[in-house]
Amino acid sequence: MTISRRTFGRIAAGLMAASGLVSVPALAQDMPAPFDNPEEVTIALVRYLSTGDFFQAYLSGVESQAEALGVDLRVLDSRQDAALQADMVDQAIALGVDGIIIQHGLTESMREAAQRAVDAGIKVVAFDVDVENEAIPQIEQSDRDLARLALEQAIADNGEEWTAAYVYVPGIAPLDRRDETWQEFKERYPGINEVAQFGTLDNPIANSNANQARSVLAANPDVTVVFAPYDEFAKGVKIAVDEAGMSSQIKIYSADVSTSDIAAMREPDSAWVATAATNPAVVGEVSVRALAMQLAGEDVGASVIVPPTLITQDMLLENEITNMEELSVRLPQFAHADVATPEWMPLPAR
Amino acid sequence: MTSQTRPETTSASPMDKNAIIDLAIRFGFLALLVGMVLFFSFASRGFASPQSAVFILQSVAITGILALGVTATLVVGGFDLSIGSVATTAMMAASYVMVVMEQSALVAVIVCLVIGAVVGVINGWLIVYMRVPDLLATLGMMFLLIGLQRIPTEGRSIATGMSLPDGTTAQGTFSEAFLALGRHRFDLIIPNFIPVSVVVLIVLAVLIWFFLEYTRFGRMMYAVGSNAQAARLAGAPVRAYKIWAYVISGVFASIGGILLAARLGRGDIASGNNLLLDSVAAALIGFAVLGAAKPNAFGTAMGALFVGILLQGLTMMNAPYYTQDFIKGFVLVIALVFTFALSQRGKQ
Repeated sequence: MTISRRTFGRIAAGLMAASGLVSVPALAQDMPAPFDNPEEVTIALVRYLSTGDFFQAYLSGVESQAEALGVDLRVLDSRQDAALQADMVDQAIALGVDGIIIQHGLTESMREAAQRAVDAGIKVVAFDVDVENEAIPQIEQSDRDLARLALEQAIADNGEEWTAAYVYVPGIAPLDRRDETWQEFKERYPGINEVAQFGTLDNPIANSNANQARSVLAANPDVTVVFAPYDEFAKGVKIAVDEAGMSSQIKIYSADVSTSDIAAMREPDSAWVATAATNPAVVGEVSVRALAMQLAGEDVGASVIVPPTLITQDMLLENEITNMEELSVRLPQFAHADVATPEWMPLPAR
Repeated sequence: MTSQTRPETTSASPMDKNAIIDLAIRFGFLALLVGMVLFFSFASRGFASPQSAVFILQSVAITGILALGVTATLVVGGFDLSIGSVATTAMMAASYVMVVMEQSALVAVIVCLVIGAVVGVINGWLIVYMRVPDLLATLGMMFLLIGLQRIPTEGRSIATGMSLPDGTTAQGTFSEAFLALGRHRFDLIIPNFIPVSVVVLIVLAVLIWFFLEYTRFGRMMYAVGSNAQAARLAGAPVRAYKIWAYVISGVFASIGGILLAARLGRGDIASGNNLLLDSVAAALIGFAVLGAAKPNAFGTAMGALFVGILLQGLTMMNAPYYTQDFIKGFVLVIALVFTFALSQRGKQ
C-alpha cells in the first residue's frame, strides 16, 4: 500500500469524494462472500492494551466498522497479560471465528499463537505488533510520518536553526519509531541543537513530565523548541512552560491528539502549536476493513498504513474546533482514511 | 521511644565513638541533603535560584501530601496502599463534577474530600472490624478505586468538551477558581512566586506534625502503633484511633488529587501507582531523618524534599529516567539501613 504519503494533507478534493462514499449504503447482497451473509461471519478482536482514550477510540472504530459490515464482533481483552493474550487467540480459534484482529502485544508471545490461527484457516491482521508472519498484514499508524509532519512544521515555523529539548522514553515501540525520524532530522538539519533530553512514563504522565520539564527549562533557558512526540509529554511540557512563564518563547510540537489536547492548544498564547495525529477510531475501522478484505479473498499487502494528519493551533482556531468530533467534521482528512476501501466495502455512518 | 536512641542508654562502648555514630545517624541525612544541594548548585546551571527551589517544592507537593497522609497510618502500625488511587479517583471525581455535572469548584472540592474520608472509613472498617490485614484491605481498595474511577466515563479521560458515552458533548468546564488551585501563585518577595500546592503542602505538614507530636490524640496514635494491646489495656479506644488514621490518609490523598486535577486541568485515567510508590518512599526515608526510626511528619516532609531535589537535580543534568529510578531506590535502601541499623542498636 503506497497510500497518499506525499499527497496527504492537501487532498481536500479527494476527501470530499471520500466523504461522499460514506453516504452510500452498501447492501449485503452487493458484498462478496462471505459478506453476502454477514451475520454468519464472526471476527474477534484480541487486545493487549485497552485502558486509555486511544484504545477506547480504537475499539469504537472497530465496533462501528464491524456494525457497518453487519458482522458479529467478539472482544477479548487480556489487559496487558501477554500469556493470556496468546491463550485468547486459542480461545478465538476454539470459538470458530472467521477472522482475528490482534491489537498490540509482544512478538514473542503472539508469534506462535498467530501461526496457530493461520494454520486453523483463520484470517488474521495485526495492529502495532509484529508477529513475524507473512500471512498476516500489519496495520500501522505511521509513527515515522507522525514525527515527520510535526518536525516539518517545526522547520517551517522556526527555520533550520534552533535550540531544542526532546522528550523521549526508549523501549516503547511507537516512541522508538518516532525517535528514528528525530535522529534523521537532526542529521539533515545540523542547525538543530538538542541541549536536553528527558521524559518519563510515571503516571500521571503529564504531571511527572511537567516536573521534569520545569527542571530542564530552568537549566536551559535558551530552548525555543520542544519536540514531545506523545501528547501526554506535550501536555506536561506545556504545564511547565506556563508555570515558568516562557510560553511566548517556546513552541511545542507533538504527536497524537485528544479533546483535552485541543483545549490546551487553543488556550491563549499556548506554546503548543502543532501536533500530528492519526485518528485511533479510523485505525480501528481500517483494521476491520483490512480483515474483511482478507476474508473476501482480496490482498491487502504486507502492511496497511493509516496516514496521519497535521493539526496546527491556527487550524483549530480558524475552524473553531474544540473537541474530537468537531475535528473529525471540520478536518475531514482526520475522520476518514481512504485506506482499504474497495467498492463493496460499507463504511460506518457519520 | 526516643530515649532508646540517646547515647546515655547505649553507653556500653566508649562514649565518644558512640556519640559520633549517634551524631551521624541523627544528622547524617540532613547533612546529605545539604551536600546534595551544594553539589547540584555547582554542577548544574540554574539550580541555585529561588525559582528552582519553588519548583522543586512544587514537584514534591502532591507526593508530599500523600506521604504525610500515609505517615498517619504508619504511626498506628498500619499501611495504606490505596492513597495513589484515592488521589486519582479524587482527580476524576473533581473533573466529573465540574465537566459533566456542571457544578462549581466548591462542590468539586467537597465531593473529593468526602470521597477521601469515606474511603478512609471503609479502609479502617475493613481492617478494624473485618480483621482484614491492612496491606490486603487497602490493596483491595486500590483495585476497586482504579476500576471505579473509570465506570462513569466508560474508561475515558475527562476534559472540557469531551463526548459522553451517550453521544452528547459535556457542557461543563473547569472553573477558574478550581484551576487557580493549580495555577495561582502567591507573591512572596518575588511576585507570582509560591504556587498554591506548595502552600497547601507546608500548611498540611505543619498541621500533621503538630497533631502527631503535640496533641494527646497524636501521641495516643503512636501508643496504638507501638503496642496496641497495651494501649487497649490502658483504656484507649484503639479501633477509633486506627480508623481515624485511615480517614486522615484518605483525606490527604484526596487533597493531593484535587491539586493534581487543578494542575492538569483535566481528569486523567491513571492508576496513581507511581504516586503511591513515591509517597511511601518519602515516608520511609523519613524514618531515618534525625534518627527517629519511626514514622514522623517532619521526616516525611524531608524525605519528600530529598527525593524531589535529587530527581530535579538529575533531570537538570540530563540524567536519563532509569537512573532516576535507580537512585530513588538506592536512597530508600540507604535510609532503611540507617533506620533499622539504628533500631537494632536501640534494642541491644
